[in-house]
Amino acid sequence: MLLSELCKGEKAKIVDLSSLSETVKRRLLDLGICEGSQVCLQCKMPFKGPCMLENSGQSLGIRLQDASFIRVEKSC
Amino acid sequence: MLNIALIGNPNTGKTSLFNNLTGTYQYVGNWSGVTVEKKVGVIKNKKGNLIDLPGVYSLSPLSKDEAVVSHFFVTEQFDGIINIVDASQIERNLLLTMQLLEFGKPLIIGLNMTDVAKRRGITIDETILSKLLQVPVVPVIARSGKGTGTINDLLETNHQTESSFKIDYGQLVEDRIKKIISMLPSELSIPKRWTAIQLLEGNAEVTKFIASFENANQINQIIQETNEYVKRELGVPTLARWIYSVRKEFIDQVIAKSVVSQQDQDKSLTEKIDRVVTHPLLGIPIFLVTMFLMFKLTFDWLGLPLSDMLDGFLSGSLTNWLTSGLNALQASDFIKAVVLDGIVAGVGGVLVFVPQIFILFLLISFLEDSGYMSRAALVMDRTMEMVGLNGKAFIPMIIGFGCNVPGVMAARTIEQPRERLLTILLTPLMSCSARLPVYALFVGAFFAKYQALVVFSLYVLGIVVALTLAKIFSMTILKGEFSMFVVELPPYRMPQGKALFRSTWDKGKGFIKKAGTFIFGGSVMIWLMSYAGPGGFDVKMDDSFLAMIGGVLAPILAPLGFGSWQAGASLITGFLAKEVVVSAMNIIYHVPNADSLQGLLSNEFSPLSAFSFMVFVLLYVPCLATVATIRKEAGSAKWTYFSVGYALVIAYLLSLVIYQVGRLLGY
Repeated sequence: MLLSELCKGEKAKIVDLSSLSETVKRRLLDLGICEGSQVCLQCKMPFKGPCMLENSGQSLGIRLQDASFIRVEKSC
Repeated sequence: MLNIALIGNPNTGKTSLFNNLTGTYQYVGNWSGVTVEKKVGVIKNKKGNLIDLPGVYSLSPLSKDEAVVSHFFVTEQFDGIINIVDASQIERNLLLTMQLLEFGKPLIIGLNMTDVAKRRGITIDETILSKLLQVPVVPVIARSGKGTGTINDLLETNHQTESSFKIDYGQLVEDRIKKIISMLPSELSIPKRWTAIQLLEGNAEVTKFIASFENANQINQIIQETNEYVKRELGVPTLARWIYSVRKEFIDQVIAKSVVSQQDQDKSLTEKIDRVVTHPLLGIPIFLVTMFLMFKLTFDWLGLPLSDMLDGFLSGSLTNWLTSGLNALQASDFIKAVVLDGIVAGVGGVLVFVPQIFILFLLISFLEDSGYMSRAALVMDRTMEMVGLNGKAFIPMIIGFGCNVPGVMAARTIEQPRERLLTILLTPLMSCSARLPVYALFVGAFFAKYQALVVFSLYVLGIVVALTLAKIFSMTILKGEFSMFVVELPPYRMPQGKALFRSTWDKGKGFIKKAGTFIFGGSVMIWLMSYAGPGGFDVKMDDSFLAMIGGVLAPILAPLGFGSWQAGASLITGFLAKEVVVSAMNIIYHVPNADSLQGLLSNEFSPLSAFSFMVFVLLYVPCLATVATIRKEAGSAKWTYFSVGYALVIAYLLSLVIYQVGRLLGY
């Protein structure tokens, strides 16, 4: 499934970043987020606004559009 | 004298550490990239200089801010590095540390925020970490300065020991690294292995640096080949990605040996606050209310009474003292006129607003230091995306409310060149605090009951015009489909009182300095031009040079509702600095203080034309200092002229519409 499809509070493991644009991918890698990282979707802004993610104690915001290029595996 | 570079990820307390190591104050911020220029301070033990670099995630640049750091590494001479590492985010912080270690300069790691880490269940054994990375690791608390003594001592002993740190990138890549090293000129000023690795990683600054070497083409060819080879043989998407994963694996091993982490503790305060301020429905209203409260505080609740007190002092006691002093000295009438009608009226008219400006700067500093700014960027991103910008562009704009100059510079954190240029061009539309004296003057005279509301409407108008133009520009002259937005949301921190007041002072002192220089000089000039005319000195004001110059503009400005030579002349002088408009009016209307000027103005302006005038002042040409900054930041004369030109056109059109429509409606 896609990261953008997660609901608020759901956790998932990132499995594929390859469809993401190069610069966004680079920035995520800089923040230590790559395939295998655990993320938790904290909230989504209205009107398809950006979403807020949590990854090992840090929070970050990315656009929903970009989140829809990230494939994840939901963890229970 | 040693030159030590201080470097680390954004939001790791780097600037606090800098302040505590050097003892001199530095601007502290809590959103990514507050340090926009290289800043240098003398280390407390007087043994060296500390260079404060912008916070970066990697030496391979994506944004202008990061390019500044890469450029520093490639071109500048320095003797050692202090790397500040956030213990609670040690994994990603070490990604940068790897690149620094490869550079080979003596390095000290300042391990910050161990307390935050501990609360999250993370304990770091710094002795093991130090052994694994082969460099000293000093636990510090950057905010209080604990641990800085140890760093100071280490700087004296450590600067001889070059680090011999090396990561093995695998046979295949290592061979290519050796090959590139052999092709680099022997007198290269930067470490060869580091250069080779950065080239393979695709660091744009390093690639630019070697472009002039004779072997550049061959080196680039090797890089290309390696890239292909790595993709084929190792099954990774890019070479840079391979280097990344080797480093990451190394870091994972280091962490496995030196870090103990337990299960996450319960929800932190940051999460609780975030549940409210980044709430899908409440987020934007909360942001707007925050802004409105900021203006309420600046104008109504705190600023106004303070300004009134200062005004009373300047126009009362001070003027009386000066008058009796000048009389006692038997000064000539000319000198008396220069001092009382020129300097006191001009400079004093602006100084009156110092309290309001300082309160505004204090509140902006508070927002910056607390960590709210990046949340504002998140909340506003959707709106900004619709006009072709991203949420990060909102931060320079908010800073622009204080002063446009740092606002324009803060645009450096925006990765996309097109979005950055757009932000630079539009930030001057944010109503800076220098425009505030003009509003305060007119609002006091015409809209006494609705001061905060009218001023707030001008700020909102600035934002609306900026967003509208962003949309128009990004559809016409600055087209580009690609836009990016990834923002780190640092934990909230209670800003420290001391840091807050000093950063307010830092920002505000420029304003006082301006009052002593630009406005002082401008006031004397304006007064002189109003005192002299073709008919000689001490002419009637209407026959002065100033009246002649202003008179040329009057017919052009008439359709906007303020076709007097006085308005024209004060607007011309406003290019020096916007608050000079008030100085000029004080001198032209020959009044001792704001109250009597407001009385006079009500004869010259109607509420409608006053509003039209304020709108014009809000939008017409950025001030001299901002224009110079735009020139520097945009790096183009064409865009600088453009920024002045479009502002004039928009100001004229909007004021025209407001005045003419307002008249039709019967105001």
